[in-house]
Amino acid sequence: MAQGRKGKLNYRCPWCLAREIDMDMLYDRDKDEYYCLRCSFTGNEPEVLRLNAQFRAKYRDRMRRITDF
Amino acid sequence: MSEFYVTIIHRPEMVPEYIQREAQEGKQEDLARSEVIRESLDIFRTQQQVAHDNGLRTTIQMTYASLFNAEVIAIAKEHHDRYGDEIGSTFLGLQCQQFRDKFKSKELAIWLFSMEDKRRIVDEVLGKFYEVFGFYPTSTGSYYMDAELVNYIKSKYPMIKAAVATCWEEGPKAYRNANNSWYTIFDGGPWNPWIPSKRNIHCPASDEADDIGIVAIPHLSRDLMAVFDGPGSYYGTHPQNILRGMVYEGREIPYFKNIVDQYRSMATYNRGYSYNMMYVGPGWMSKQGRWEADYAFLLKSYQDGMAHYGQLKKKGKAQDVTLSEFADIYRQSRPYTRPECTLWKDILYGSRRQQFWYADPWMRFCLDMNQGGAMIDLRPYAARLVRPCGVGTRHLQDASYPFLVQSLYRVGYFTHYAGEGAVKSCKFSYAGEEIDLCTCRTLASYSEEGDTRIVTLDPVNIEFARVTISVQSVFRLTEGTGEIEIVRSIIGTTDPAAEITIDEYITACYGTTEYPEDLTGITLTLQGAAERESIEYAYQCREAQVPDIIVAEAIVPQVETRLTMRTDSDHATGYFREGFAFSPMYTIGLKQTIQGKGELRTWLKVEKAS
Repeated sequence: MAQGRKGKLNYRCPWCLAREIDMDMLYDRDKDEYYCLRCSFTGNEPEVLRLNAQFRAKYRDRMRRITDF
Repeated sequence: MSEFYVTIIHRPEMVPEYIQREAQEGKQEDLARSEVIRESLDIFRTQQQVAHDNGLRTTIQMTYASLFNAEVIAIAKEHHDRYGDEIGSTFLGLQCQQFRDKFKSKELAIWLFSMEDKRRIVDEVLGKFYEVFGFYPTSTGSYYMDAELVNYIKSKYPMIKAAVATCWEEGPKAYRNANNSWYTIFDGGPWNPWIPSKRNIHCPASDEADDIGIVAIPHLSRDLMAVFDGPGSYYGTHPQNILRGMVYEGREIPYFKNIVDQYRSMATYNRGYSYNMMYVGPGWMSKQGRWEADYAFLLKSYQDGMAHYGQLKKKGKAQDVTLSEFADIYRQSRPYTRPECTLWKDILYGSRRQQFWYADPWMRFCLDMNQGGAMIDLRPYAARLVRPCGVGTRHLQDASYPFLVQSLYRVGYFTHYAGEGAVKSCKFSYAGEEIDLCTCRTLASYSEEGDTRIVTLDPVNIEFARVTISVQSVFRLTEGTGEIEIVRSIIGTTDPAAEITIDEYITACYGTTEYPEDLTGITLTLQGAAERESIEYAYQCREAQVPDIIVAEAIVPQVETRLTMRTDSDHATGYFREGFAFSPMYTIGLKQTIQGKGELRTWLKVEKAS
């Protein structure tokens, strides 16, 4: 197995993020995959981005400019 | 005061933890790594430029490390002369080679040192500041400044009048969010500036004798709903915090402006005054990128945020002030007893949820309209608990101000298995049915009558099998009384002959975390016109009730608090309920049966038990 290193960005584990734990992942160059030291997540960059988009979905007003208070 | 004040703070941190961590990967520690210092300095310079380009003055809080850097010192002096920026000090960014050599410690948090070390560090940091600039700063700060630390600073450096003194609701949630590695455990303070008590930094001072001598500023202006339920480092006036929380799409972050504008709206609740602060350390704008965002996005988010403040200033809707200037303004027209309050609206999740936050020298509490106005947080400031933190103290890292009610840490309205949760609410019962207002979602409006703040909830319908009633709740908060007056009115009924029982109650505990504390020794007492019942808590499930109640009381010696409920009704019944080990709570309440329409008016009070 290759030595895990930080990836090009500090991608956090999307499964840990879903329970609001910030856990930076390590990147395995040989497998082109990120993995989490805390839980058992493994996935490539598109998978991380897909799950991050899913995480954002709970913020239904994330793109709404609210001015009426 | 009738202004929206904005304070922008920058700190030239020479060895920011995030950048240092990145640069250090795979290498041994080197606090003098030149590329880290160079990058940090570049970011500081960029932050200053972004603020000035938007016409905003800043407060430059010099870190200890930066006091050894001629370039930073020159920038600070130049920007003070040219833009009117304030040169202050901070106890963040202590770590550098000089600190390590002098104090032989890797500790980074001023509040976690022993008291003896705190004194030594204060003298060293402020002494070095004087040596460099020829004067002492008038503002300082850290993520947390305990009362003992501030009392020492004031005793030796009385010119200091403002400090960044805590991070709002940065406690167990922030600790857990950082995979149990971020020791900023200090829930329970005010969310907007306040004058702290000499006894405990979280508590607003009650009078001049209790005044610690500074105006305290929370680190960032935070989303009062999202941060109560989520990580503090996701939702506030810190653009990179918002990136961390992933509250964006593409590269746009309207949420930042929404937070700012909701804070501006607080003028409605606070005699025309509102406030914001932005304080981003250079580590958050690392050239390597951070929180899934590249440097370009980190920078853009900062520029966009600052541009919003700049635009507000240009339109005459904001006034940029330095930390010390703000302290002077705040003190000009702030009676000690004046509360800070706000009816916060959801700006994140797309619900219509509202929460009402209130803080004064007696208490801090939150009402949740999603739960019929239930009180989901209650902190007994009246107790003014002396709770030193740091090495050598009993609580060490736990600098939170204790709660009596925290519904997220201690269940709240019960939806799971057996037992009770900490919440203050009201139940209505009829013919064997019982409905809690916690299940009656509603909205609220705010008004004032002189020195009384009033939160009026929209009526809700409660449907029993044979009768439907319409119920309205009103909370009245009269300045300087330390009491909450609560009116529960049946304003409509389908059966005027039906006898409805109104049960106003509080189920409480105490603590600072999710884990239960020992309730042994708490006393529950009912004092009626003719009868009295009292027990000492021993987890025995005991219950009692007394007619013609005068006062129902819980004394919690562990947090030196006396909690009471009273009513103006002559014929209400008081009761208490002891818990058991699997349900470590206590309840006191007042009940009254009403035929047709009518009301139960009660007062909740927290006092120091001594």
